[in-house]
Amino acid sequence: MNSTSRVWRTTGLLSLLSTILLIAGFLYAVKDVIAPGAASTAGDEAGFNQGTAVGSGEESGVPPSEDAKLLNVTAIGDSLAKGTGDDTGKGFARRFVELAKEQGADSKLVNNLGINGLTTAGLLELLKEKGVQYSLGQADIIVMSIGGNDLFDGAESLQTAGRLPTEAELEKSVTEASERLGEIADTILEINPRAQLVYISLYNPFSDLPGMRKIGDEAVARWNHIAMDLLRQRDRTLVVPTFDLFTYNSQKYLASDHFHPNGAGYQIIAERMIQGIH
Amino acid sequence: MMALVKNETIKMIKKKRFYVILLVLLVLVPIFSYAQLRAAEDKRSKFGTDWRREVQQAITDNQNSLGSDRVPEEWKKYRQIFIQQMKYYLEHDVNPRQPGAVAFTKEFLDNAATLFIPLLIMGIGSDIVSSERTSGTIKMLLTRPIRRWKILLSKLITLLMFVSLIVVATFIICYLISGLFFGYKGFNLPVFTGFKLQGADVDISGVHAVPQWKYILMQMGLIWFVSSVVAMLAFMVSVLVRSTAASIVIMMAALIAGNILTNLASAWTSAKYLFMVNLGLTQYLAGTPAPIEGMTLGFSLAVLAVWALGSLIVSFLVFTKQDILN
Repeated sequence: MNSTSRVWRTTGLLSLLSTILLIAGFLYAVKDVIAPGAASTAGDEAGFNQGTAVGSGEESGVPPSEDAKLLNVTAIGDSLAKGTGDDTGKGFARRFVELAKEQGADSKLVNNLGINGLTTAGLLELLKEKGVQYSLGQADIIVMSIGGNDLFDGAESLQTAGRLPTEAELEKSVTEASERLGEIADTILEINPRAQLVYISLYNPFSDLPGMRKIGDEAVARWNHIAMDLLRQRDRTLVVPTFDLFTYNSQKYLASDHFHPNGAGYQIIAERMIQGIH
Repeated sequence: MMALVKNETIKMIKKKRFYVILLVLLVLVPIFSYAQLRAAEDKRSKFGTDWRREVQQAITDNQNSLGSDRVPEEWKKYRQIFIQQMKYYLEHDVNPRQPGAVAFTKEFLDNAATLFIPLLIMGIGSDIVSSERTSGTIKMLLTRPIRRWKILLSKLITLLMFVSLIVVATFIICYLISGLFFGYKGFNLPVFTGFKLQGADVDISGVHAVPQWKYILMQMGLIWFVSSVVAMLAFMVSVLVRSTAASIVIMMAALIAGNILTNLASAWTSAKYLFMVNLGLTQYLAGTPAPIEGMTLGFSLAVLAVWALGSLIVSFLVFTKQDILN
């Protein structure tokens, strides 16, 4: 009898305490969700600050060591940076890292920040984000591909609508986007004052379309010229040309969407990159 | 009354149901912890200890999926809110996935809130009345000179006592065991709460930091409420159905239906009045969008309360009027 009594007393007490605790938690949660702020002021700030201290004390902003052979890569920009069209998903960024490793360098891909459909305006917005700045800051080499969507924005939708962008339209997009390109380069070089900025210049994805070949070539050539000129004026930059690769080899190097490179196309771009860097 | 509750509590302990539940937790939590540990190791091999890179890559990957037409609009909503939350963490330099027993427990409670813990509750709730019937002891109970409603009430109180014990025990077991894997630290790390979805945008005006221990306390409180409601429903089924097996099946089917409905029902808006789709109270805390448009914490609490109240009324009416035949 004594033992049942003890069981009852401990169970009863424990469940009473648990219930009180849980009701308190419940009321607090309801208050916090329905009227946030009211329930959370001084106490939470303390917790927040402590957490920040833990976070930043640990590993924040540790720059990669000053090893000449260290080639950490961050890719940023549009679908080409992302690697769209590459069946292995590697893109030139990861392929570059593989090549660098083969050559004995200590290389890793910090982040691939490529976003499908990104334009120069979108990239400028992206560069304001803290996480993006952090990833760029960790890199020795920043690979950028941008501009294609400014020039051929909606080219795919136009294509399906049976219309191709006109010469004047392309001309206008080149001028506008090139202004932003300079700003982008400055911002990136400022975010990471050590890294080399490698710009992958454009090719004409429409070189196999008779109607588009000429005006596409003109727009791309003009863009590449402007980009070369802009980046030439800045230190720590490198422009990797791709125009020639795709001029006669679009069958070989373009993916089935006739716009993005395929695996072989990305591979050959990565090889060009490493030739320029070593 | 006290004597009756005591009697019921001792019966509950003697029947060893509670121990079975503890045992289930003791077996499953190490398995979950180990799985989580492997996942963490896998990530570490890719990203090192640099959580910022990992979070940023998660943001970029989700941004890319937003542009795809192949992704359903509802998923995009989840991903959008995820992107905003992750950006907020980066902005404030706080690791959203700081590994540790506390973070694991938080994650576990989030996932267990709608199915796992209610299932445990059913384990003790479903047979609290029907087992007396199956074994025939109900006659002994009712021949005593005590009003029937008092007997039923004592069972209900006992059930609710064990609901609290189960919720707290889940936390304790989870924390102690996962601590072996991840270390016991992290009670003061901040969690951001208060993200609200306004159309396609995420409203961050109400976002504020809460230390993890407080966040877990809030989670447990909400889970306790859900569990109590499930317990009362199981209680009603236990009164209405003679066989324990049948009452467990009924409750289980209802819970699982709820899980399926929350994945399917966003087009059928009246489903939000069913109790099963309202069990995920912790999602209001985490800021994930509700399964059906127009659901808020207040709404879910009201729906659950109405269901609980209804089931209590039915239980007591039926139990006091019913003839006990066999």
